[in-house]
Amino acid sequence: MFAFQYRHNPAYRAFCDRRRAPVTRWEEIPAVPTSAFKEFAVASFPIATSVAEFHTSGTTTAKAGKHYFKTLDLYDAASQRNFAGHLLVGQAARTLINDKAATAEDRRAAGPTNLPVLALTPAPVIAPHSSLAHMLAVVAGQDREFFVEHDTLLLERLTQRLCEMQWSSQPVMLLGTAFAFVHLFDHLATMHFDLPAGSRAMETGGFKGRSREVTKPELYRLFTQQLGIPADHIVNEYGMTELSTQFYDVTMRIGRQSDHKDVPPWARVLIIDPATGEPAPVGARGLIRVVDLANLWSALCVQTEDLGMAHADGTFEVLGRVAGAEVRGCSLNAESLRKQ
Amino acid sequence: MSRAAIQAALARHRIFPHRTTSAIVEALAETAKQWLASGNPWRARAIAEAPGPTGFSPAMIAEAITLTFGALTRAALGKVPVPTDAPRRITQVLSGNVPAPGIGSICRGLLWQAVNVVKCSRRDPVFPALFVESLRAVDAGLADCVAVLHWPREETGLTQAALAGADAVIVYGDDDSIASVRAQAPAPAKFFGYGHKISFALIGRDAGRTGDLPALAAFDASVYDQQGCMSPHVFFVESDAREFAATLAPAMAAYEARVPRGKLTLAEAAEAALVRNDYEFRSASDRRVAVWTGPPPYPWTVIYDATPAFAPSCLNRTVFVKPLGTLAAMQAWAGKVSTVGVAPWDARLRSVAGQLAERVCPIGQMQRPPVV
Repeated sequence: MFAFQYRHNPAYRAFCDRRRAPVTRWEEIPAVPTSAFKEFAVASFPIATSVAEFHTSGTTTAKAGKHYFKTLDLYDAASQRNFAGHLLVGQAARTLINDKAATAEDRRAAGPTNLPVLALTPAPVIAPHSSLAHMLAVVAGQDREFFVEHDTLLLERLTQRLCEMQWSSQPVMLLGTAFAFVHLFDHLATMHFDLPAGSRAMETGGFKGRSREVTKPELYRLFTQQLGIPADHIVNEYGMTELSTQFYDVTMRIGRQSDHKDVPPWARVLIIDPATGEPAPVGARGLIRVVDLANLWSALCVQTEDLGMAHADGTFEVLGRVAGAEVRGCSLNAESLRKQ
Repeated sequence: MSRAAIQAALARHRIFPHRTTSAIVEALAETAKQWLASGNPWRARAIAEAPGPTGFSPAMIAEAITLTFGALTRAALGKVPVPTDAPRRITQVLSGNVPAPGIGSICRGLLWQAVNVVKCSRRDPVFPALFVESLRAVDAGLADCVAVLHWPREETGLTQAALAGADAVIVYGDDDSIASVRAQAPAPAKFFGYGHKISFALIGRDAGRTGDLPALAAFDASVYDQQGCMSPHVFFVESDAREFAATLAPAMAAYEARVPRGKLTLAEAAEAALVRNDYEFRSASDRRVAVWTGPPPYPWTVIYDATPAFAPSCLNRTVFVKPLGTLAAMQAWAGKVSTVGVAPWDARLRSVAGQLAERVCPIGQMQRPPVV
């Protein structure tokens, strides 16, 4: 796949050539920085033939990164399987997921679960460039509803739906960004639900200044207090526009809340020591680099802007975005200027 | 540190002894001169003790001593203005790991014949304390007029105790720290806040005649690992910016060989790595970008970028070289620019620079400001 992408992506080839280092092992595959998705078409096919393009929300600069897809088959297959293994634990996942004869189209139509999904994102049809909206649509069953329209969270409608779920004793799955959940909790204020047992939630992403900042323990306390979803049924998802694979906390798989994330068989996570550019030992903090075989049409090795740590059991932990290195002297740095 | 300790320090340091200004100048200059001697014990202690908290290499500490104490000459100290109604009791809050501003500020407090309570920075608890101790050997009466203390900024009760009774408050730090101390300062006290700033440099088309310009530029950008407010983020070049970047790179390497960069925090190293990765990817297929960097741990990086807009650096010896276009956009940084270095030292560039910054100096002199 590296050879394929080297051959078909001129910007990537130029980058690899500039390094003048031979690639003999997968760990040596040059990583494409996420920033490159803003400046270049990181694609190994003519992007005019894209079936989809996902855009970043532009958290650090105005320019959005773009991820082009020749097909979404790999993306959807990777998303469904991984989601099912981490969110549908204890649920009878539809057999289609594991049915090798089923096409991606079949799977998409069937959906992996019967749990109704309440998504705190826009529907893909109104947000065609949101990878998250697409991913949630792919993993949710047919009983699903999206609660963001015109950049607004439809709080009244969502609250009403939560009422209905509680009264009908129907377990439900809530999926959304952390900041959308904070808006929901702020809206609910003193009101609280006791959603039926088996209800669960997936939260993702940081706050990006779009709601007040809440720590993960505080967020999970709010889930439990205001929705009645226990911490062992809340799963953090780590994903990004530039990847085709998502990473989930092991929480539901092991039955207790955990910050450790599984790496599915078709991906590898390397923690890179920024001082050397080489992989850091287990337990050391460094930059998260992802090798994602589902990124066939873009870049199989992506250098993220997040810090993380590898654990001895093969899981890893995300420690947050690289930003705001403390100024040690009296100069303003890029980050402190951004904040002004 | 406790409230009682601060009050005891205040009680101990109460009255300024009788000294003429020239006697104070003499004592301070003599003390500073001693630091410059290679066998001086204070110097040796600073080189041994300061690398930990400041993060600078021992060679950088030696360079900092040369710059900080080399500036404290009789002539320079004699030029420090002394107002007629100078405050009698000053509380000073120092910040960051660059020793020069704090040492200069202590000298000014003494030249104003004030008793000084100095809250030193967590990043540099070494220089202020050692300087006052070294002064004690020259003039114990003067040294008694400075109490150097440290407590965490979160301990606002202690800050209030230190501010009580001050008739002037001098604060170095980021905007938040300055605002926070200002809010706690006694109302009648004069308040001086020195915020964090940026600096940059202009290289005119006739700069070819300016000595070893790349070495001078590398010195300005590398000293204090670029963390000082007088450290340039960007060199704007009027003629061939790429060519200047190519000559700056070996000069950065040469300075690194003599004065290595200190150890970076993980966040700093990660930030620098991302900036480097970004420009390296672009440089492979975009002629408008080029990157030069040292071998791991990448102790210096020069980035040529044909976009003329100012780009704030992640610091730690990552320097941008850009074409000098219109500097109109720099107006957005008004009030945030400390120093503009220029080469050649001619009237045209000086007048351009003078509209943008409070201080204009030749390249190579950016790290040699007046005492205060």
